[in-house]
Amino acid sequence: MANDNTKNRKAILVTPEVCIGCRACQVACKSWNQLPGIKTKNNGTYQNPPDLASAAFNIIRYSEVPSEKNPVRWLFVSRRCMHCDDAGCMKICPAPGALYRTKEGAVAFDRDKCIGCKLCVNACPFDVPRYDADGKVTKCHLCFDRIGAGMQPACVKTCPTGALRFGDRAELVSTAKKDGFGTIYGEEDLGGLGTVYAFKEEPKLYGMTDDPAIPSSVVFWHTVLKPFAVAGLGGVVAAAAIHYLAVGPHKEEEEV
Amino acid sequence: MTEMVRKSSGDEILNHWVLAVSCILLIISGYGFLFQTEAIGSLFGGFNTMKTVHNWVGVVFILSLLFSMRHSFKDALEYDEDDRQWFKVAGGYLSHKVKVPPMGKYNPGQKLYYLAILGAGIAIALSGFAIWLVQGNQTLILISHLVHNVSFCIFIIAVPVHIYLSTLANPGTFQIMVNGTLPLEVAKKRYPKWMKAAGKM
Repeated sequence: MANDNTKNRKAILVTPEVCIGCRACQVACKSWNQLPGIKTKNNGTYQNPPDLASAAFNIIRYSEVPSEKNPVRWLFVSRRCMHCDDAGCMKICPAPGALYRTKEGAVAFDRDKCIGCKLCVNACPFDVPRYDADGKVTKCHLCFDRIGAGMQPACVKTCPTGALRFGDRAELVSTAKKDGFGTIYGEEDLGGLGTVYAFKEEPKLYGMTDDPAIPSSVVFWHTVLKPFAVAGLGGVVAAAAIHYLAVGPHKEEEEV
Repeated sequence: MTEMVRKSSGDEILNHWVLAVSCILLIISGYGFLFQTEAIGSLFGGFNTMKTVHNWVGVVFILSLLFSMRHSFKDALEYDEDDRQWFKVAGGYLSHKVKVPPMGKYNPGQKLYYLAILGAGIAIALSGFAIWLVQGNQTLILISHLVHNVSFCIFIIAVPVHIYLSTLANPGTFQIMVNGTLPLEVAKKRYPKWMKAAGKM
């Protein structure tokens, strides 16, 4: 389901192998988007805040995955909105314009148009959208305000190692393949993700979801129930009109 | 002057109007949400306001629906041999030539319609409350979202049929929703068993 309007689709390529876990991306994101700090507790990991939040559009997930060769293997991966081409959040959203596609192919949001129903939270395959204190949706919007002005997203701009790269999606994917990364996570999933990951190892080691998909109930609703809601009403109105013409209204005297 | 028979009490008429208006408002706003229809949103003063209206009219609707059980629930559960025969002639709806068995106050089509609306109404209200009020339970919200939409499909099929049959298809029926009465002579023809039970024939 490629978008015709996103032929020049932009993306962020995450290469966890070169991520040093410095969290500059988290800081830059907060700075650009003017997000407040979050009070958190030490829960035995450097991962902080512990998960995406209304004031944390991206986080680095830290996973301790010892292997035989490396007993202290520590894996870092940047987590944020995947900007799916076939986005569950946009599919289920009842308010026009609350979640919308930017011309670069990202999924952005408009607080004023969000009605706070929270359905997007439940339709997201990656558990990304969050709600702020006013009950409005927030999440990574691929810095549409920066990239629209020819700049890189704040997180990419600040990344010191090239673990985050921004650019033309197709180019990023082919470069990563050329560089010998066997698994490009998100190349095909959900119509192709706008945040793609280059792995040499199993994405699962980094805590990535296997076979991400929009919940089947949402797909059924979208492909069956929505058309039925139109065809059903139209069919019933047409049937009533045909009945009125063919059989006609009830007449008292014809009854015994 | 024609002798009239009362079919619906004052509170039943009032409640049916509350139920009807709230139901239609919910269906219209529901279509607005389903297809992100800007025009419907504007009708309600924007999608934020429409959400508030949809939620609270939903509360009015379910209270009204539960109140309607006082008038219709008992009748809707009772079926006899004539009701079974009624289905064989499709209630006489498809042809005026067939002989329709004598009916009581309500025919089985009306009774089953009531039960369908009651069931779908309770389902759509419970799932609506879950979507509105519950947070952090993905399974419950997704099931509620599905139930809400399946019930919606029942409503958009059943309600137009109900409106058609009680207005255009059966002239004289709509006035029962207005003043609750109909002429005795008409009642004797339409509801002979009810009239016999009431000692009018």
